[in-house]
Amino acid sequence: MNPPPGTDMFVHDSTGIDRVGPGEVRLLLELASYAYHARDRAAPLFTLEATSLSAHQRQLVAILGANASGKSTLLRLMAGALAPLSGRVQLDGFEVSKLDPRTRAQRIALVQQESLLLFPVRVWEYVMQGRHPYGRGLRFETEEDAKVVESALAQVGALHLKPRWMHEISGGEKQRVVLARALAQQPLLLLLDEPTLHLDIGAQVDLLRQLRWLAEANRYTVVVVTHELNLAAEFADHVVLMHRGKSLRVGSPAEVYDRDLLEQVFGAALEVETGADGTPRVRVRGRLPSQA
Amino acid sequence: MQPLTAKRLGLICGGMVAVLIVIILFALKLGAVPISVADLAMLLFRRIAGAEEPLPTEYQMIVFNIRLPRILLSVLVGASLSVAGAGFQALLRNPLADPYVLGVSSGAALGAILALGAPSLLTPLAAFGGALAAIACVYLLGRRGGQLDSYTLLLAGIITASFLSALILFLMTTLPSRDTRGMAFWLMGDLSSSSPIPAGLLFLVMLVAIGAIYTTAADLNLLLSGEQEALHLGVDVPRVKLVVYLSASLLTALAVSVSGAIGFVGILVPHIIRLLFGSDYRVLIPTTAVGGAIVIVLADALARTVNAPNELPVGAITAMAGAPVFLYLLRRRLS
Amino acid sequence: MPSVLGLFFPLVQFSLLIGCAALTALAQPPPTSATPAERAFRELTDGAGRSIKVPARIERIVSLAPSMTETVFALGLQARLAGVTDHCDFPPEALALPKVGGGLTPSLERIVELKPDLVLATTLLNRRETVDSLDRLGVPAFSARDPQTVDDVLLEITSVASALGASDQGAALVAELRARLAALDQALAGRAPRRVLFIVWHDPLITIGRNTFIADALRRAGGLSVIDVEQDWPRISLEEVVRLDPEVLVFASSHSEGVRQTFESLAARPAWQGLTAVKNRQYAIISDAVNRPAPRLLAAIEELARQLHPAAFASPVKETPGARSEKQENGRAMQKEKPSCSR
Repeated sequence: MNPPPGTDMFVHDSTGIDRVGPGEVRLLLELASYAYHARDRAAPLFTLEATSLSAHQRQLVAILGANASGKSTLLRLMAGALAPLSGRVQLDGFEVSKLDPRTRAQRIALVQQESLLLFPVRVWEYVMQGRHPYGRGLRFETEEDAKVVESALAQVGALHLKPRWMHEISGGEKQRVVLARALAQQPLLLLLDEPTLHLDIGAQVDLLRQLRWLAEANRYTVVVVTHELNLAAEFADHVVLMHRGKSLRVGSPAEVYDRDLLEQVFGAALEVETGADGTPRVRVRGRLPSQA
Repeated sequence: MQPLTAKRLGLICGGMVAVLIVIILFALKLGAVPISVADLAMLLFRRIAGAEEPLPTEYQMIVFNIRLPRILLSVLVGASLSVAGAGFQALLRNPLADPYVLGVSSGAALGAILALGAPSLLTPLAAFGGALAAIACVYLLGRRGGQLDSYTLLLAGIITASFLSALILFLMTTLPSRDTRGMAFWLMGDLSSSSPIPAGLLFLVMLVAIGAIYTTAADLNLLLSGEQEALHLGVDVPRVKLVVYLSASLLTALAVSVSGAIGFVGILVPHIIRLLFGSDYRVLIPTTAVGGAIVIVLADALARTVNAPNELPVGAITAMAGAPVFLYLLRRRLS
Repeated sequence: MPSVLGLFFPLVQFSLLIGCAALTALAQPPPTSATPAERAFRELTDGAGRSIKVPARIERIVSLAPSMTETVFALGLQARLAGVTDHCDFPPEALALPKVGGGLTPSLERIVELKPDLVLATTLLNRRETVDSLDRLGVPAFSARDPQTVDDVLLEITSVASALGASDQGAALVAELRARLAALDQALAGRAPRRVLFIVWHDPLITIGRNTFIADALRRAGGLSVIDVEQDWPRISLEEVVRLDPEVLVFASSHSEGVRQTFESLAARPAWQGLTAVKNRQYAIISDAVNRPAPRLLAAIEELARQLHPAAFASPVKETPGARSEKQENGRAMQKEKPSCSR
């Protein structure tokens, strides 16, 4: 999957939006917290406690944790969909939740599960929706928009799907198209909420590899919420381990994958081995009781 | 497949308007009193040219004072209802939504019933007032966390519509029957009575409302995928929902105050137009407006001609004709 | 990026607006071709209190209700009747006249085509919207007042006659009708009214309220409607009827055979068998003219009076009140009366 030549339209240096240099922090969370309330002044249903992390361009961050540990909340804080109760969430120095939706959509793309498709729409139309943040009021698509859509589809290897109907393509193909739509937004930050959920191991590896490559080629910061511990260890630069609303540890996979920590979070008997290149690998420890 | 361009949109809209004009001329010919094409052409020509009219005044009256105002009202009602239907389908993310699902027509009907004793000029105004009250009520009930929530809105609308309908039925059985006879027609949808309100004013309000919805057309395409997704793609979701809700409700209130509750147009025409031109709301809104106008002008022309001199309710024609047309188009698309 | 779309939307919609505005301009009322001096006009007030301007001599009449058609014929003005509704069936000559549609949904086009000098409408059968539309078209429409008593019916006949410029014929007609009423009053003097239930429809059970002229007609015929409510066409429950237990059931129909069958089917139901009227087979069939506020109403009243109080009209025959066989004979006697309509 080599990049088609000349796809630097996804790198923001050329459009001047990039305010920080390659070495500086792009995504910054400082003691950001949040709480969900059913009603005002009632006790919070769920609290995300103060979390800090930072990431640069070309880096991939994985958010790990058991279900209902606050992973999605953290992601939505990064997306600016939620305003932090305390602390700050910044992208290139801008407070994300304070940006207006249009500007935010030009910087941050969020890929979620299961798009609702009420009426038939073609693949290229769907990806073209990613260009919406760049229009003003009523507008038609421009040549530029069409080129971005083509490149986005090319980058995810779905260019051949361009004229097809969304409801006619397979699940895996659909996922690639959804990713292409995110790319068409030409973001700085790419967020994905559990993209590996329904994929087999081969597809999971493919996806992570692609995300890694995209981060490099388009200079994104990519944040992925996932359950796949080993894939995260393989592909992520940073890992955030969440447990019941708290970020237990933030760091490189080698730093975070501590056996006791993992067992506390996932409640299973696990073993952590370190590979030759320093990448940790998680295994199930011991055997089933009857096989002792 | 080509992206939408200004030229393509202009061509489609222009084509639809041309069809509408032909249908209007056709509808001017149809009626209980036979008027030949030649006579009709001379009437139109001489009127536009301001020349003396040798044909009897009844013919002039029939064409210009009975048929033409009725056709204009049909255009108004058809365009309003179908755009409102398309708007609600996007707002509620439900292909089955029609303009009446949120209780607007029930509010209008209640207003009309309460104005029964008063002079007939007040009836459309009272109906409009009733519709506005229903709109406000459903809006207040349909909010969640300060903004409109589609699910809550739908529930609030259905409950309000049911409650008002029950109230209307109760009033109709207890009020003296001579007053409520007209209501039965009103509830079925009736264009036979001329409106006391100048058509120009009604058209102006309609254009403003359609224009308001049209400004959100690109946003609506995204809103259909889901509110969260639309939000993350840069749509100001709360503002768009409010604009669509108010505009679509206003259009429904307008149509219902003028002609009662004509069914099927608001749900069928947007779907038929989608089958023909796709789901892009930037094309859908103008074409569905003209499409709705065409349908009601035709239906009304049939209503006053098929069983002449008796007049059928327009709602019956739209129901009978609309469903088979839609089925035919659907099958063609699926095959 | 210039917003090109912004140009085309207004273009499309403005073409609609311009087109419709132009069409609206075309719809201005035409200048009156006939000079006013050719025909004299007079003002009159209709039953609803509206002021109407009509030609001094009314040559062409369109009737929007069967009762109006009958009245016009009764006044001898049928030669001027240019159009009637689909339901105008009496007298039979009316069936041959040009039709303008139903009373509720007449075709305005047809009415205009007939060039009427005056359109006659009722509040009972016609919609206010129709009359208003005719007003806006410049067609004079006379809307009769809603009659609540038999006297009201006679008054309306008078005012319609006056509106048509036929006050003399009207006065003569009404005088004759009043004379017949007076004769009825005399014949029924001193007789207690019989308690009746007027059945508009049997399933659901619908009858008439006290403010209808039908209720008053029953009274003039020597009957008394047991139902005393404000509503004009109340639905009542069978329990209520059993509680009130009327002596006689009154049906109005053009098909006496159909009514007999209806009565038999009702009598077969256990719920109805508790009624005195059913047990004694006391039912009357009269012409459906009782439903129309027209001169023929008198005939229906007289018909009913003969069935309710046969003793007042028949040749003197000794009757023992309360004998079941005699009641049966009365029942059969009632059934022999043929309704006097022409369907």
